[in-house]
Amino acid sequence: MEFRAGNGIVAQNMFVGESDTEEEESDYDEEEESAPVETTTTTAASRYYSGNASDSDDSEGQKRVVRRVKDKRFDEMSATVDQMKNAMKINDWVSLQESFEKMNKQLGKVMRVVESDKAPNLYIKALVMLEDFLNQALANKEAKKKMSSSNAKALNSMKQKLKKNNKQYEDLINQCREKPELFEEKVEDEQEPEDEDEDEDEDEDDDFDEDVQTLESEESKDEEETAAESGSGWEKMLSKKDKMMDKQFKDPSQITWDTVNKKFKEIVAARGRKGTGKIELVEQLTFLTRVAKTPAQKLEILFSVVSAQFDVNPSLSGHMPINVWKQCVQNLLAILDILTQYSNIVVDDMVEPDENETQKGADFDGTIRIWGNLVAFVERVDVEFFKSLQVIDPHTREYVERLRDEPMFSVLAQDVQEYLERIGDYKGASKVALKRVELIYYKPQEVYDAMRKLAEQDNQGREVESGEGIKAVEENRAPTSFVATPELVPRKPTFPENSRTLMDILVSLIYKYGDERTKARAMLCDIYHHAILDEFSTSRDLLLMSHLQDSIQHMDISTQILFNRAMAQLGLCSFRVGLFAEGHSCLSELYSAGRVKELLAQGVSQSRYHEKTPEQERLERRRMMPYHMHINLELLEAVHLICAMLLEVPNMAANVHDAKRKVISKTFRRLLEVSERQTFTGPPETVRDHVMAATRALRQGDFEKAFDVIKSLDIWRLLRNKDNVLEMLKAKIKEEALRTYLFTFSSSYESISLDHLSKMFDLSDSQTHSIASKMMINDELHASWDQPTSCIVFREVEHTRLQALAFQLTEKLSVLAETNERAIEARIGGGGLEGLPLRRKDGQDYAATGGGRWQEFSFSQSRQGGRGGYNAGGGRGSGSAQFTRDRTGRSGGYHGSRHQDGPGRMHQTGSTVRGGQVDGLTMKKSFTPSSSKSSHPINTVNNEGMHCNCGMDALLKTSWTKSNPGRRFWACSRYGQNGYCGHFKWADDEMCSRAKQIIPGLLAKINKLQEEIEAFQSKEGKFESEINMANIRLAMLDHEVLELKKKNRSLVLFCYVTVCVIVGVSVAFLM
Amino acid sequence: MTSKYDLTQRIAPQLDRHLVFPLLEFLQERGMYPEEDILKAKIELLNNTNMVDYAMDIHKSLYRSEDVPQEMVERRAEVVGRLKALEEAAAPLVTFLQNPNAVQELRADQQHNLRMLNDRYQIGQEQIEALYQYAKFQFECGNYSGAADYLYQYRALCTNTERSLSALWGKLAAEILMQNWDIALDELNSLKEIIDSKSFSSPMNQVQSRIWLMHWSLFIFFNHDNGRTLIIDLFNQDKYLNAIQTNAPHLLRYLATAFIVNKRRRPQFKEFIKVIQQEQCSYKDPITEFLACVYVNYDFDGAHKKMKECEEAILNDPFLGKRVEEGNFATVPLRDEFLENARLFIFETYCRIHQRIEMSVLAEKLNLNYEEAERWIVNLIRTSKLEAKIDSKTGTIVMEPNHTNVYEQLIDHTKSLSGRTYKLVSQLLEHAQPQTAR
Repeated sequence: MEFRAGNGIVAQNMFVGESDTEEEESDYDEEEESAPVETTTTTAASRYYSGNASDSDDSEGQKRVVRRVKDKRFDEMSATVDQMKNAMKINDWVSLQESFEKMNKQLGKVMRVVESDKAPNLYIKALVMLEDFLNQALANKEAKKKMSSSNAKALNSMKQKLKKNNKQYEDLINQCREKPELFEEKVEDEQEPEDEDEDEDEDEDDDFDEDVQTLESEESKDEEETAAESGSGWEKMLSKKDKMMDKQFKDPSQITWDTVNKKFKEIVAARGRKGTGKIELVEQLTFLTRVAKTPAQKLEILFSVVSAQFDVNPSLSGHMPINVWKQCVQNLLAILDILTQYSNIVVDDMVEPDENETQKGADFDGTIRIWGNLVAFVERVDVEFFKSLQVIDPHTREYVERLRDEPMFSVLAQDVQEYLERIGDYKGASKVALKRVELIYYKPQEVYDAMRKLAEQDNQGREVESGEGIKAVEENRAPTSFVATPELVPRKPTFPENSRTLMDILVSLIYKYGDERTKARAMLCDIYHHAILDEFSTSRDLLLMSHLQDSIQHMDISTQILFNRAMAQLGLCSFRVGLFAEGHSCLSELYSAGRVKELLAQGVSQSRYHEKTPEQERLERRRMMPYHMHINLELLEAVHLICAMLLEVPNMAANVHDAKRKVISKTFRRLLEVSERQTFTGPPETVRDHVMAATRALRQGDFEKAFDVIKSLDIWRLLRNKDNVLEMLKAKIKEEALRTYLFTFSSSYESISLDHLSKMFDLSDSQTHSIASKMMINDELHASWDQPTSCIVFREVEHTRLQALAFQLTEKLSVLAETNERAIEARIGGGGLEGLPLRRKDGQDYAATGGGRWQEFSFSQSRQGGRGGYNAGGGRGSGSAQFTRDRTGRSGGYHGSRHQDGPGRMHQTGSTVRGGQVDGLTMKKSFTPSSSKSSHPINTVNNEGMHCNCGMDALLKTSWTKSNPGRRFWACSRYGQNGYCGHFKWADDEMCSRAKQIIPGLLAKINKLQEEIEAFQSKEGKFESEINMANIRLAMLDHEVLELKKKNRSLVLFCYVTVCVIVGVSVAFLM
Repeated sequence: MTSKYDLTQRIAPQLDRHLVFPLLEFLQERGMYPEEDILKAKIELLNNTNMVDYAMDIHKSLYRSEDVPQEMVERRAEVVGRLKALEEAAAPLVTFLQNPNAVQELRADQQHNLRMLNDRYQIGQEQIEALYQYAKFQFECGNYSGAADYLYQYRALCTNTERSLSALWGKLAAEILMQNWDIALDELNSLKEIIDSKSFSSPMNQVQSRIWLMHWSLFIFFNHDNGRTLIIDLFNQDKYLNAIQTNAPHLLRYLATAFIVNKRRRPQFKEFIKVIQQEQCSYKDPITEFLACVYVNYDFDGAHKKMKECEEAILNDPFLGKRVEEGNFATVPLRDEFLENARLFIFETYCRIHQRIEMSVLAEKLNLNYEEAERWIVNLIRTSKLEAKIDSKTGTIVMEPNHTNVYEQLIDHTKSLSGRTYKLVSQLLEHAQPQTAR
């Protein structure tokens, strides 16, 4: 029995390395379905099985069934052979090849059914025939030439395949050639040929070496079996294993470290191979953990159990089965148990440990190194958890059940983190801490409390429940577990009372030890969490001081999504605390492209303009947030639109005449236009309708109606302390209504009394006074107070048409002058900017003279301000000082090395940035375009860069000046020429100083080389012309030679004639 | 109650131990806290210094007994012993420095000095180091003038930059405590230069140093004659303002006060208002709130109320509420100045948005009686700070409208254009010439 088993494996491994094996392998499973015979062992046997070695307990009934199937197979095969014959007739090698492969496949099936190791005669005959035909075809060279290319190709490959294939059956083929009649009759007579057996014996000999440990082969046989019968034979295998266990491990004293180790190595080697059942692998390994002799060994095996469990998940998009996930977590906890108990065991993934490292027993003093990476495991577990939540339908009970597993993960993460901190691996600990942060950052206090309670009370219940899942495994626990580990690490997560405290602890650890990405993510989570807790100023400061808006473009997509989420939450938060302008600046970018869903990874939006490839879509799906982490989009939209309304309505009223000039929210304007175009406006239904209706009311100064409409939105129930918020909103609406009213109707009044105004808008006198005063100071309202009568007196400041035109003219003039200045600066300062390679040399000259001018230029550009959102500036914190303010003693600080130069940079922009928070936030405009880039990298970087002031598309050029070599920029197509409109914007980031140093040098080198080449080329030209001249001369000489030859010939003729004449004359004389 | 605006607790951690004493003295004087608490705090402070005698005195007055705890006596003995030892160690160098003839030999070249000391007087690094320790110990004992002298000389000989910096801090503290404001100011400036120029190991340290510097400088700025301008110049630098915003927002009070009192730094004022607005969430105090009322919310009644609170805060602030004894009665000069200027602020803004104001209302807003208010305004009009007329019949002030003419506006807009264009042309020509020449 053992023989056969070992044989089975090796034979398969040895012979199956051929081209057709893959199909054959995949056929295995089909076979199972089509022929549901209870062939526990036979199916597993390969075609090299000798019939007589098969299990004796094969019953008769079984045989009968097999026979029927056998007939079928033979029929199929003979049909194929017929096809081949036809193909031969028409000399079609392509179809011949196909049939041949088909036949080979069928051969496998046939052999399996007939339980024979010998190829059927039919097959052999076909092979013989084929070989003959092939030889014939090869011999006929003429015919071969005539063949079409594909046919010829097929012929060649056929030749090779057949050669290879026939080698296996050489003897049979020879036999067949010798006595073909034998094969004619013996269709089903499977007589074992001697020679075949020899072949096998060799294999078996090889096996003997490995078969020293009977246990192993036993086990591998099991494996082999289970591979074949992944589903049905499950219980059987288990029982078998039990039996085997009884046999092998009846006497525990027999088990040595060596046996277990060998076995373990073997199983691990089988991992990932074709036909190795992943679940069974796990089972076997789990069994081994029980018989492991030393804790180190147990640990090692546990590690592979866990990684095998990760393998169970078949595809990238699918998730791990939940029960496997749970077991996996339990295993990891067990690993931690061991690690805690034996503190001399070190887990490391850097060094390849000694072969026999694990032999050292529990009483070994020194450190034992085990290969493994706990952090990676935890991260993987987290990913699987996340994926499962992504996949499960959020409206089902299953989803809720799955969510309840969260404490399980958090306890694991907590334990691992503690362990890592204990052994001093803070880097790893910070990574794990990040996972924990990502688990709680989105939870408001209520949800957090709920989770905490669940974790506390539910744990006992769950223990039983999850225990059941494991019980199935534990049932067949070996009589003795050699290394018993008590449950040392807590199985229950401990949560502090307040989610904020937990966040603070974790986040400060990460800031101290984490790497760049970990820190950035933790920072974003921190921002998000602060925002949830309505601590707007804290989270805003964190955002501004971390400079994340600037660096987020360079991070990975999931971090960008996190950034978008944090921004959205920040917007909501500022709305809740009544800072509507800030809220708008947070949210407007998200809404500018109309793809909020995508940016927040809460759904895939279908774009009209470009189709996504399935690949892209799959990627996007993989990024999706699980449902429970979603930010309510309706609420977000409502908040965004209301903020926009509050800003835009008075703004529109203030600039009635040139409404286009100052647009605060393009999205809002567009929506307003659409709703104004409608002929009939029904009662509001969607969020947009509501806000539009409110806008209409607000523009008339009817604040009550505006507020009522907005209040009727039913999404407010999702808002925490909504009464307060709505109260604030109402106050703000009143205020804006007053402003709008004053803007709109100021021209109709000579004076207006404070009393009247405050009554009209239900505001207190002082509020009204303050609002009006503010407008006066800011020159928005041309009026002043008359204190004794307490009313506003309006001044007539309406310009006449002529005056207005004159103002416009002056404005244009100044723009013109500015453009001129810029143009000349570009000319003088960096004339070689559009440096085509040919002009490069000039450019460098210019750069040399214009020197540091560029600096000025770009700086003045940035001073020009808003034109291109150019002021991508730092926040107000000096890059370095940033984190010192953390109250919770995170003084470790998050100042990435990148920001070390903060103070210097901040110099320039600091003062402008400090100019109020709104500035601070709007300045950071560049942030979301980047995040929209997240999904479509080719998206426009910044629309403003692409169009120049004269309205044409700007060109992307490359600068070759000394200060900015190779840096690209957008500029007007007439850059550096007449009519240059002054548009200029860098497309690339500033180079590092090293590049700046090196590039000019390289350019100079290239130039020099080019010059040399040119010199050589001109020389070459000279040579060529000389050669030409020489050729011409040669031709002339040739010509001359010809002439001379001609002359010569005529001379000879002449001589001849004269001689003849002379002779003739002389003859005549003589005659 | 009165301690509401007290910043001592926030300021003290940023100061040297010895610098806290003046603050505590002030608090004791104002009687904002129970006397006992302050005395206890003093003892606590003194425990880590070597001013044991002083501590004993306080202990006696606190518990009204002649007994002194044993540990204090022991500590005293220990301090005296230590002082002796240090004195001995530093003796060679001290005697050298006290000999005016020998000091004459020192030159500007540090290397030369060191060599000379080593060769001729056998004074090496150990002695120099001992000088530092001795100076430090002197300082801790409260002998500031001695410490200042030694530290000055030490700096001349010191080669270690870290030590030198530390000595500079010590010198500054000593000068402050001796109230030599001019010298202290010099030290402050040199220290500032070092901090700004030095590439600190971590930016955190740099910020911390700046914050210390700013806290220490409060002593100087509010005592030095020119301090009110200097404080703005120092604090309002971007680097320092950032440090304030991130780590010590309470310093905004002093900057705000300086801005209000000082008329010469108006241009930066607008910016500063924005900072205050921004920091409202992290720090609030009557003075910043006053500014917010006047310049952000235009809430004049609120501003009026705040002025009273400001007065209180100023009186209770150890730096702002400095008293000057004039004859028999003491005044707080800063308070008067502050109130005067604050009034002016309110009035200025008020006038900008009004065209007619009743005198009586104004008088009330300015905390003045009618006649005083009239006189005040007449003064303003006469010094042409205000373009207005008093209509005494109705008792109102009428503002002169000062809307700029449209034509003037147009001219303003275009005035600079010709100049700019001219400059452009000349630039172009200049550039064109070398090209044609080439």
